Amino acid sequence: MAELRMMATTGMVGYGYTEEAFNRGLEQGLDFIAADGGSMDPGPHYLGQGIPFVSRQAIKRDLSLMLEAAIKQQIPMLVGSCGGGGSDPQLNFVRDVVKEIAEDKDLHFNMALIRAEQSAAYLKQKCAAGKIESLGPISEMTPNMIDESHRVVGMMGVEPFQKAINDGAQVVLAGRATDASIYSAIPLMRGFDPGLCWHLSKIIECAGQVTTPRTGQDCVIGTLHDDYFLVEPGHPDKRCTRMRIAAHTLYENPSPYHLEEPEGTLVTTHSNYEQLDERIVKVSGSRFEDANRYTVKLEGVKSSGYRTVFIAGVRDPILISVIDEFIQACHERVAVEAGNLSISRDQYRLNIRVYGKNATMGPREPVKYTQAHEIGLLVDVLANDPETSKAIMAKARYALLHTDFPGRKCISGNLAIPFSPSDMPVGQTYEFSIWHRMEIKNPLEPFPIEMVEV
Amino acid sequence: MTTLSELTSVLRSKNAGALLCTLDLMFEDQITYEKVRDSGVLTPSLIADLYGLSDNEVSIIPYDVAYAIKITIPRLYKSGDPDDSDIYGAQQHAPLLDIDIPV
Repeated sequence: MAELRMMATTGMVGYGYTEEAFNRGLEQGLDFIAADGGSMDPGPHYLGQGIPFVSRQAIKRDLSLMLEAAIKQQIPMLVGSCGGGGSDPQLNFVRDVVKEIAEDKDLHFNMALIRAEQSAAYLKQKCAAGKIESLGPISEMTPNMIDESHRVVGMMGVEPFQKAINDGAQVVLAGRATDASIYSAIPLMRGFDPGLCWHLSKIIECAGQVTTPRTGQDCVIGTLHDDYFLVEPGHPDKRCTRMRIAAHTLYENPSPYHLEEPEGTLVTTHSNYEQLDERIVKVSGSRFEDANRYTVKLEGVKSSGYRTVFIAGVRDPILISVIDEFIQACHERVAVEAGNLSISRDQYRLNIRVYGKNATMGPREPVKYTQAHEIGLLVDVLANDPETSKAIMAKARYALLHTDFPGRKCISGNLAIPFSPSDMPVGQTYEFSIWHRMEIKNPLEPFPIEMVEV
Repeated sequence: MTTLSELTSVLRSKNAGALLCTLDLMFEDQITYEKVRDSGVLTPSLIADLYGLSDNEVSIIPYDVAYAIKITIPRLYKSGDPDDSDIYGAQQHAPLLDIDIPV
């Protein structure tokens, strides 16, 4: 009976794992080790700037143990969505870390780099051919949306990983990839059942998140058999429970029963979850339905300008009672002051969030009147250049500090400002401009592979 | 009447991609789960009212095997938009806590 064992070391390269769990996994004999290196959760900035959202030291530590073990045991090591967003600069960042580890430890291997960044020319060609559609509540794709985007990645499926392995790569560093493709590529090549492959991959890509107790990230081991798979934690003190494993398909998905991948949909409607012993869960009955087309998700960002941030507190109950009107008056005053600097209202965005009232939920906040005895103002300005951003913030700060309101007694200042300097420039920022999917014929086409001898 | 705050063991929100927000209600045992699932209280229209949406923007999926109910709604703004203040979408669940269920 065929068996294939894989280990997910961490849910996110840089979030860490314990050596105890890692070594215990290695002792079981693995067919490959892998880790997801990215996520869009932290928002559009990191893809825009092409930088990781974890530290270089943390990436090096997590990859170092994996690389050494993979080379020693002669098993493949796969990392997807390298550097956070899986763009070219992020992939290059991780490539350089891996090369440095190899040099430090005198390791030699064949490595594949799979790029996921998409050129405007290619996207426009697909757009013109009607091959790009929106993925949820966002405008349909236009050439203009492609032009104004700063960086776009495509999410690869299993095929580029498989090609890299077939071409002799022992280490695969991939740009943006679906989390589950990292883990499904090798088992699918070896003929394991697609429903089981994709379901196991979906469960272990978040690694330690499916274990109990949830004390940070750690390794998880998955073993595929012909008609079921097993999931167990690497760490001897942790457990996988039936409920936790079953609940995992809820996480970050709109449906726990249907999970989409480039070539089809994982269907868990008839999945069966069984507690094998205290630590191990057995899953069977998962199915994979092939789509009649192959689609790649696209993620793109555009510049939203340069941001300056300012934080202040309000303790005056009279001001708190009229805060909405007061903020409106400040917006108007800033517009007038900006005009005096020849800055028009469409050249900046001033946003004043009222913490203690409705900053978190905005217009969706059901509590209309705050009971708070103090509130926090988080003020931010976006403008096309850093100087305009700073200039508007300086005017906004002055307006908030000194604008009159009905019943005002605190005439020397409306705010408690905690810092000097008070205005914090945070630099270039981005927003998502593309959240679409693109139909392609050849799953390898948008993802060029470069083989490197290390 | 008992609130969802008292009935659930987990009540969380999170992005499902940059455009959607998904809310998970999880229950300790099958009996509680089924009482809430079958109470008829959790309807698209209730969720739409709470979050200022129209009914057809709300998806509610009971997930028997994990004693969970999943609700998915559009995000107010795309994650990371200039007006967004919850990048991960992790604090959009609070209005559900006070929903009363006749059990």
